[in-house]
Amino acid sequence: MSVVELTSTTRHRRRSFRPNRQARNEAKWGYLLIAPMMIGFAIFFLIALGASLLLSLTTWDMLSSPVWVGFDNYLNVVRDAEFRNALGNTVAIAVPNVVLRLVFSLALALALNSNIRFRAFYRVLFFMPVLTMPVAIGTIWKWLYDPAFGPINGALGRLGLPRPEWLSDPKTAVIAVVVVLLWSSVGYDMIIFLAGLQAIPRDYYDAAALDGAGSWQRFRDITVPLLTPTTFFLSVIGVIFSLQVFDLVYVMTRIDQSNQLPTVVYYIYEEGFRNFRMGYAITVAWFLLAIILVFTLIQFRLQRRWVNYT
Amino acid sequence: MSPKSISHRLTRIGLHVVLLTVGLLFMAPFIWSISTSLKPLSDLFQVRPSLIPSEIRWANYSDVFDTAPFVRFYANSIVVTIARTVGQVVIASLAAFAFSQLKFPGRDALFFVLLAGLMVPDQVLIVPRFIIMRELGWFDTYQGLIVPLLFSSFGVFLLRQYFLGIPRDFHEAAKLEGANPFQVYWDIYLPLAKPALAAFGFLTMLNSWNELLWALTVTNSANMQVLPVGIALFQGQFFTNTGILLAAANMATFPLLIAFLFFQKQLVEGVALSGLK
Repeated sequence: MSVVELTSTTRHRRRSFRPNRQARNEAKWGYLLIAPMMIGFAIFFLIALGASLLLSLTTWDMLSSPVWVGFDNYLNVVRDAEFRNALGNTVAIAVPNVVLRLVFSLALALALNSNIRFRAFYRVLFFMPVLTMPVAIGTIWKWLYDPAFGPINGALGRLGLPRPEWLSDPKTAVIAVVVVLLWSSVGYDMIIFLAGLQAIPRDYYDAAALDGAGSWQRFRDITVPLLTPTTFFLSVIGVIFSLQVFDLVYVMTRIDQSNQLPTVVYYIYEEGFRNFRMGYAITVAWFLLAIILVFTLIQFRLQRRWVNYT
Repeated sequence: MSPKSISHRLTRIGLHVVLLTVGLLFMAPFIWSISTSLKPLSDLFQVRPSLIPSEIRWANYSDVFDTAPFVRFYANSIVVTIARTVGQVVIASLAAFAFSQLKFPGRDALFFVLLAGLMVPDQVLIVPRFIIMRELGWFDTYQGLIVPLLFSSFGVFLLRQYFLGIPRDFHEAAKLEGANPFQVYWDIYLPLAKPALAAFGFLTMLNSWNELLWALTVTNSANMQVLPVGIALFQGQFFTNTGILLAAANMATFPLLIAFLFFQKQLVEGVALSGLK
């Protein structure tokens, strides 16, 4: 490299390192405008996250000062039968919920994707539960499931069928909660599927019809593969969302202060804010984060096998 | 009429029958909730309850206000929801504008840190946030309910995407006219981003109105409770009458559902646009 070239590059570099007044002014504004967001994020996210990591290595009842216990909390969570029960309940809710949601919402989206009349009306109908306050949803359904005087058992009684205890028996409570969760989330998936369906070019169907493909064949060979990215997206966020179920089990399955169907988030809440075992509650939360990550990673791994990106 | 168009019409009618049936099933819990909220106490203890009340008892609705500090819950919910919604939209849109339109050292790194925040669920942060609230003396206050939930990485991400789609010519022209970046944000970018702001604002409003876990954690006096907490907590305590309880639940949800009927097009498009509730 010649001397001339060298000086010209250093001069260039010097210029870019010492910004002119206008660029400096722009940077000043940039920092000013992001400041509220970044300060809040630093306190309520970064500091909270750091504190969360440290406190998970302590036991702390909020009255005396925290006691350092190393990884004891993590070892205890693994051995904790109550945690395993909560995790089992959570997975038992999440897996059927996600699968059934995808099936029902796709069916509804397909029905509404044709240029059928009253589309907007139906769309509103299916979307209403998505907007409804989960606490109110739980309250309404808890009454519907009431074993003695609720309408569901009333109808079963009329048909001469057995009248289950629903929410006070963990086995039927899982079914009951899955149904409610399904009812309250199908409309959301349906909207996303509709957007996905509308993005499929009409020409594909026209061309396939010209080649003599029937409607089932068009569905199988065009709609399904082209919707796989949407399906993948919905199953990823569906799993994340349903592993965090709290409101519904807080309202529906808590009977006389003890929960028949505690989920992981419910367990975190109870350990932290009922039993004041802060360090332990945080550790359970880290396990939840790890479980969510594992489920998400598995889905991303399997993605290559079935998701079709064109 | 050709046989083909007849069969076409038949499948169409069949489709309507199916959709209406499913739609009715979807509405059934709401219908039962309304009917039960109008029933007298004696109707609530029937082994085979009927949908139609034996007499309409509107007083269940006024009884809500006598059984619980419901006006206070309602006022708290409105204050907290408005503050969170306005705050989130302003803070996120300012940051989104800066991240998308201005150049400053460290910009991309800072944005990446914000994005990483999207991956951590709130449950990991809820205990430390609760401790921060206690240290600040914000436990059981409006600040405690509002401030920790003002900072939405998701909002910054969504609005930044939208701002990136606005042609830079507008920005350059305004700069030549001597406008400072805040004026460019306020006079040009905010008006142009109305659809995205409305979608994000409505979703924030909805989530805030419905939020339970944080409100349950950070408040304990009846004076500071919001609707979800009030309804969840007082089930056994105040509302022993299911008719009155469901009247309370209905009053907490129906205003928002009716607002939705007016904004449903924008909201549905917003959900499809953002892909997240």
